Amino acid sequence: MTGFPKGASLPSGVTVEVFAAAFEASPTPMVVTDPRRGDNPVVWANGAFLGLTGYDREEIYGHNCRMLQGPLTDAAVLQTMRSALATGRPFEGELLNYRKDGTSFWNGMTINPVCDEAGKVLFFFSAQADMTDKHRLELAMRDANDALEREVSERTADLRSALEQKTALLHEVDHRVKNNLQVISSLMLLKARRTPEGDARNALQAMADRIGALSTAHRMLYSEGDVTRFDFREFTADLIADLAAGLDGDRTRIETEIEALALSAAMAAPLALLIHELTTNALHHAFPEARRGRVAIEAHRYEAGMRLVIQDDGIGMASVPPNPAGFGRTLVEMVVRQLRGTLEWADAGPGTRIVITIPLVGTDAL
Amino acid sequence: MSEVREVPLRILVVEDEVLIALELECLLEDLGHVSVGVAGCSADAIALGRTALPDVALVDIHLIDGPTGVEVARQLSRDPRVTVVFMTANAKRIPPDFAGALGVIAKPYSERAVAGALDYVAQRRAGHPPSADTLDGFHLAPAAGGGEWNGGAA
Repeated sequence: MTGFPKGASLPSGVTVEVFAAAFEASPTPMVVTDPRRGDNPVVWANGAFLGLTGYDREEIYGHNCRMLQGPLTDAAVLQTMRSALATGRPFEGELLNYRKDGTSFWNGMTINPVCDEAGKVLFFFSAQADMTDKHRLELAMRDANDALEREVSERTADLRSALEQKTALLHEVDHRVKNNLQVISSLMLLKARRTPEGDARNALQAMADRIGALSTAHRMLYSEGDVTRFDFREFTADLIADLAAGLDGDRTRIETEIEALALSAAMAAPLALLIHELTTNALHHAFPEARRGRVAIEAHRYEAGMRLVIQDDGIGMASVPPNPAGFGRTLVEMVVRQLRGTLEWADAGPGTRIVITIPLVGTDAL
Repeated sequence: MSEVREVPLRILVVEDEVLIALELECLLEDLGHVSVGVAGCSADAIALGRTALPDVALVDIHLIDGPTGVEVARQLSRDPRVTVVFMTANAKRIPPDFAGALGVIAKPYSERAVAGALDYVAQRRAGHPPSADTLDGFHLAPAAGGGEWNGGAA
């Protein structure tokens, strides 16, 4: 045998026997094989190795380590190990090995070639560790993880189905409300058609128009992605278009200047009633006897809220005979109160100017 | 509003709410059109569509026998002489191809929306479709130039 590389020599007093005794006593399973002999047999193993594998020394000496392999040993890892050994390279990996009694264990090993000065492989030295617990833990963690993921996906599916139900319910309610508004409106109009011309018929028609204004408000709601707000400018445009449709455009017209505001859905119905009532009122009373004119509707944001101005250039308040049964004005006052706003009627000379301020707090407007 | 047309449209009303149907017929008459009948379920609607020779069918999605208005529209619009217009509060149920319908009037509708839609239909049938820009409360199907349908979002 040629000498070992420099640095591998033993200090004085530490004999090979010392190492043999130390390795024999080590709790780490170790084994040495001799590739120069046919089939690379085991030439030395320590007590820990025998304890791990369950073999006696004489059962394992002279045999190749493949005696530890079994049906579930990973062939790919074996292939890697073999090609490392064949070329004299070190190997590190885990293999499922089998004890003498047939039970399996995960064997985490390092195999290193022991070379002479010239680099020729004389032995392979392998240290092992029983990784069975680690594998069991990994397996348990994977199971726990899978269980957790299953639970999360079940929960997500539950939530999704709850959301779908909620959305379906919202659509259903929305559909029913819209349909009912149409029925109510039809009912009013049918009765109006069967009522002789006069106060009763006018009252029915006016009610149907108010329901129409509420319908417009409702049509605008829930049509956008955000069910909690509506676009006030578009909403007013729709509302005014309905009113303007019945007008002789050459004689009277409606002009609007509305700031873009996303208002809270709760304000849609009162605002629809308010704008409808004031505009209708102006159209009905400000321009008697084919008088020409216009109604201007403006809405602007100010620090604390919104200012809504409805102004006509008609005959003015003073000229309109007071109507003790005037439901419209009462309605306007009630709605303004509901919106916590203020209402001012003024003579605009010519015409009438109505200024309404509506405070917008918190989430009322964006 | 109620300008009398030279050739009034013959209109089939497919609607399960009797009150809405009755009022709608009055409105159509006011607008100078002729109602050729009311159907409350899909079978009646399809049968009337064949026998009453309507120019236009105003079709609600939800009928007595369920959300069958879509199928009614599909059947009626197979006849190229019939223009189908949905009239529903359930616009989200309209399929992307509109089942052959020209457009949808959203409920609750205003008289103006109905009048505007029928004006549009009449002119389109007469061979000169007007601009759809001014249509309010009436949404055209994508195939008729109404843009992508998103289920009734404004």
